[in-house]
Amino acid sequence: MTGRRSGGGGMTVLRLRAPAIAENVRAGQFVNLALRPGPFLRRPFSVYGAERAEIEILLKVVGAGTALLERLEPGARVGCLGPLGRPFDLDRGSGALVLASGGLGVAPMPLAARNAARAGREVIWVHGARTAGELCREWHGDRVIWATDDGSTGARGSAIHAIPDVEAQVLACGPNPMLSALSSLRPEAQVAIETYMACGTGVCLGCAVPLRRGGYDRACTEGPVYEASEIDWKLLPGHLHYAVGA
Amino acid sequence: MNVEMSVEVGGLRLRSPVLAASGTFGYGTEVPLLDRSRLGAVLSKGVTLRPRAGTAPPRIVETPSGMLNAIGLQNPGVEAVVAAYAPLWATWDHPVLVNVNGESVEDYVAVAAALDGVPGISGLELNISCPNVDAGGMWFGNDPRAAALVTGAVRRRTRLPLWVKLTPNVADIGVIARAVEDAGADAITAVNTFVGMSIDLRTLEPRLANWTGGLSGPAIRPAALHLAHQAARAVSIPVVGIGGIASAEDALEFLVAGCAAVQVGTATFVEPRTIANVYDGIAAFLTARGLAELSELPRCLPAAGSAAPAGSLSGSATR
Repeated sequence: MTGRRSGGGGMTVLRLRAPAIAENVRAGQFVNLALRPGPFLRRPFSVYGAERAEIEILLKVVGAGTALLERLEPGARVGCLGPLGRPFDLDRGSGALVLASGGLGVAPMPLAARNAARAGREVIWVHGARTAGELCREWHGDRVIWATDDGSTGARGSAIHAIPDVEAQVLACGPNPMLSALSSLRPEAQVAIETYMACGTGVCLGCAVPLRRGGYDRACTEGPVYEASEIDWKLLPGHLHYAVGA
Repeated sequence: MNVEMSVEVGGLRLRSPVLAASGTFGYGTEVPLLDRSRLGAVLSKGVTLRPRAGTAPPRIVETPSGMLNAIGLQNPGVEAVVAAYAPLWATWDHPVLVNVNGESVEDYVAVAAALDGVPGISGLELNISCPNVDAGGMWFGNDPRAAALVTGAVRRRTRLPLWVKLTPNVADIGVIARAVEDAGADAITAVNTFVGMSIDLRTLEPRLANWTGGLSGPAIRPAALHLAHQAARAVSIPVVGIGGIASAEDALEFLVAGCAAVQVGTATFVEPRTIANVYDGIAAFLTARGLAELSELPRCLPAAGSAAPAGSLSGSATR
């Protein structure tokens, strides 16, 4: 762990020195972090930034594991397994790129914005939260559109409903109900979903993702990025409540 | 460090006493970073006759020092597993045993038949202890007659080394262990997960979609150790110990308790290199003790013919 800053909205950005991951990670991929002493299982996080030998993750305290991570001081060592999972495929679109994020769902967006900008594409960032105080305050795109559930900043409602009606490729990440709503509006959008997860490497089958074509696959391996129309949203747990491990 | 670590378990010579437990190592291809020269054998993900989709999510939940899982034996079926992996397994320098599951004796026998004689498949681990399926699974492991029935039926159908994985959710594991030994098992794996439950007080509902799941991880280690020991003193075939092993010290406890080898399971989720670390730690321990071979490690089992020590639950010691 090399540094920490506030991301706004009660979120914290942690910097980790991880040269091999920083060099290879692609937008939408994640790392699985182990803290010792700490909770038994690792904790998965999207990679928020990657520069030179360092990566960044974005976190919000939701349980014992994230509380420990948030309190880490520079110099602390964290087990960091990654990069894991299937990334966003930016090549499946051209022209403008819309990044729609709800709350912590902003985490995979900066790497996508960077790649799109390098390709000369316009990046429109649509970011929502429950209320103004929970919005991420770091800027990722040529244009930003805010949304809040309570209307305290920007459009009232979720980021999905604030997506401008333009011809664009859409990438989204946020609470699963938000992504489910997107699936009916933009079935071709790529979404990075959240599930409970243990190993992150494809062996435990704990991160099952229900598919519309039937059966399940693994968020850690075939995901976490899917085309919104692939997922059987009725069977995907909507809100993850983290149990506290001791 | 030059310690003889190979072991003979249930018809197989293994170069390492540290094995990868079923359901925690996929089909042997997935786990990254691990130095496989330290791996004794792989126990495959549980396989059934026909494909199984598995249970709805959430399938896992973290618990104090462990986790609950209810995967529901998701697998593509024995034919698909054989086609996809057996040719690869045949090229590996360690054995792969297939974890065999069924809803009926006929199912188990049919899976065993499909695996018999296939290059790349070195043995079977009969799972009569899965807590997460409606039919079969743990039902067979709960009753000595049912356990013997399915073990004997598979024994008659295959010459492959036959291990039987027992459930801890029984009154006396020694009775079940003796039943499967008498029915022809070559080794016993002890133990599978403990049935458990966790409730989310925000929703007032169970956290797992399946309501109950199998508890694994360090939380179960002392209980699993006791059951592996009880199994080992009940039978004369080797017992492979499993339950919450995450370090060499943990593994050594099972070995000293009378196990011939150990399986590392849930710990691999947390640290993919656990198996190699456990192997190296056992070797270092033996070296520090001046032992040249794992077989020289003292085991706390009563000598053959002697009375069992006070506190023993299940009677006769056989060695």
